[in-house]
Amino acid sequence: MATSLAGPRSVTDRIEETLIAIILGVMTVMTFANVVARYGFNSNIFYALELTVFLFAWLVLLGASYAVKHTLHLGVDAVVNTMPQATKRVFALITVAVCLAYSLLLLKGAWDYWAPYANLNPTSGHWFPTGFKEVRGQGWYETQDIPVPGFMRWLEDVFNDGDPYEKMPKVVPYVVLPISMALLVWRFLQVGIRVWKGEQDMIIVSHEAEDDVAAAAAKLKDQE
Amino acid sequence: MEILILFVMVIGLMLIGVPIAISLGFSSIVFLLVFSDSSLASVAQTLFEAFEGHSTLLAIPFFILASSFMSTGGVAQRIIRFSIALVGHFRGGLAIAGVLACMMFAALSGSSPATVVAIGSIVIAAMRQVGYTKEFAAGVIANAGTLGILIPPSIVMVVYAAAVEVSVGRMFLAGVIPGILAGTMLMIGIYVMARIKNMPKGEFKGMGEVVESFLDASWGLLLILIIMIGIYGIPGVTGAIFTPTEAAAVASVYAFLVASFIYRDMGPLKNGGALLSKPYAIVTALWHKDTLHTLRDAGKLIITLMFVIANALLLKHVITDEQIPQKITEWMLSYGFGPVMFLIIVNVILLIGGQFMEPSGLLVIVAPLVFPIAIELGIDPIHLGIIMVVNMEIGMITPPVGLNLFVTAGVANMSMMGVVRAALPFLAIMFVFLILVTYVPWISTVLPNALMGPEIITN
Repeated sequence: MATSLAGPRSVTDRIEETLIAIILGVMTVMTFANVVARYGFNSNIFYALELTVFLFAWLVLLGASYAVKHTLHLGVDAVVNTMPQATKRVFALITVAVCLAYSLLLLKGAWDYWAPYANLNPTSGHWFPTGFKEVRGQGWYETQDIPVPGFMRWLEDVFNDGDPYEKMPKVVPYVVLPISMALLVWRFLQVGIRVWKGEQDMIIVSHEAEDDVAAAAAKLKDQE
Repeated sequence: MEILILFVMVIGLMLIGVPIAISLGFSSIVFLLVFSDSSLASVAQTLFEAFEGHSTLLAIPFFILASSFMSTGGVAQRIIRFSIALVGHFRGGLAIAGVLACMMFAALSGSSPATVVAIGSIVIAAMRQVGYTKEFAAGVIANAGTLGILIPPSIVMVVYAAAVEVSVGRMFLAGVIPGILAGTMLMIGIYVMARIKNMPKGEFKGMGEVVESFLDASWGLLLILIIMIGIYGIPGVTGAIFTPTEAAAVASVYAFLVASFIYRDMGPLKNGGALLSKPYAIVTALWHKDTLHTLRDAGKLIITLMFVIANALLLKHVITDEQIPQKITEWMLSYGFGPVMFLIIVNVILLIGGQFMEPSGLLVIVAPLVFPIAIELGIDPIHLGIIMVVNMEIGMITPPVGLNLFVTAGVANMSMMGVVRAALPFLAIMFVFLILVTYVPWISTVLPNALMGPEIITN
């Protein structure tokens, strides 16, 4: 099976993994705290749900590129596994090309969607960016409930001509879109190079418990 | 016509090894760009909407996290001990206990492969030791493990509820009777086989062992109670206490506390020591490396699963925009196909799809496609959900390539063909079960209707 080829865990791995753990931990604590506040203190954390939803999106979108690096994405390997090595390689190259096309298209889409919230210009063009087009900035758009913490007041000067924000501006949660898609392009490029060099021939796993199965099999073998 | 190209593209890409998520997403993007004037920016927005617009899906990360904490160590072992104490003394008792353990573990975890790994890695070895054949053991576990997605809480049901906008609470309740029925049918089947083939039986260790093992396992089993009472309230006393999402988050926190401080399978107290002797552990457990490790592993699972679902929602967007279900309904009605024929077609699609694909991803694609048709034909949405879940269960153990067969083959160090042959007799039982569930809606709908009132169909 195609498992991680990255060798010992690098510094970026540890940063990414810690980030995954922290985001998930904060999501859980946030939701739990809201329940406690409701039943214990008869109040509620009014922004808990919205913040948790944004963290959820951040977790999955940022995590998608981590999953590419460690070959965690789910796929169908039943057909590919029956193919001879040469065909496998061709399939893998096509696969990487499709993945790159996907992430590049979405990178354009993500930029176009986010840019107006940051008072920047989205790109023109239907499929490919053909240049930038002038649009009115939407830096004043705000989220529903999330307050702006003191240390983020500088956002007002940068995106809102110094006018105070009542709530967190949308430029903040949506910035994950262009960032995560750029990371995805980068990781697929790296995988592409590995496939080209013949170091990897699959970029998927067939189910989520693959590592555990290997561990369980080893354990059973010991007992026999 | 265009739509046929879309589906051929999705399946074709998947078969050559493109990740499921990207097969779905890429095909949808290309379709939208070619056949409609949607912009890429709106596609990116739809992708983000998967999270922002579906608060039901928010329950998934917490259910996964709760089951990750519960799988950290001895919970499976404790459940198995309790099962053996209860039914181990019947003929074929260890196999029956294996099914019972799978049912209970399924209620803690929402995934079938995970259930096979957790229970199978212990029970298969134990069955070998007392004289069962490896094939029989593997067949039992491969089948019973599929109950993971039928017995609530189930991630697949959350996905169904989000995809077609029905209540998660109803879906969970609807799974209870079918789940118990399937487990019971398997256990009876095993008992009959055991009587005929004179299989080994264990010894009854007395009520003391039953009570003691139950108490030991009860901290884990209490998780189910928290979720169920949280979502539905105590009948006659309170209404719902939490939303399903909150119930899942509370369950995660509970599972963390049990794993760290009661079972001590992980965290600062793992190597002995009571909480009283190390009171600071209550704080340090929060960032102990085991806690971070579990969060990270759960995070990985959430990422891959949700990335599939988010992209499948792109495809759903296309399907809805193009009014494909309406077209199929028209076509079906014009050929005079009724509900029975329709359900058979759904059965076949899901049996084939379930062999290749992770169930949640498959469900997000198929559900929006067949749901409007089912409503048109007068099929209950909750009943349809249960039919789909049971179909995918069976898809996972249907040769040639069922997912659970692969997992069991891996866990038991057997050839794929060996597991296929071993699973066949039980597969027959599951098929009978499928027919029952498909054509007797009562099994699925009686509990939710009794507890939550009749379903009101709005569209």
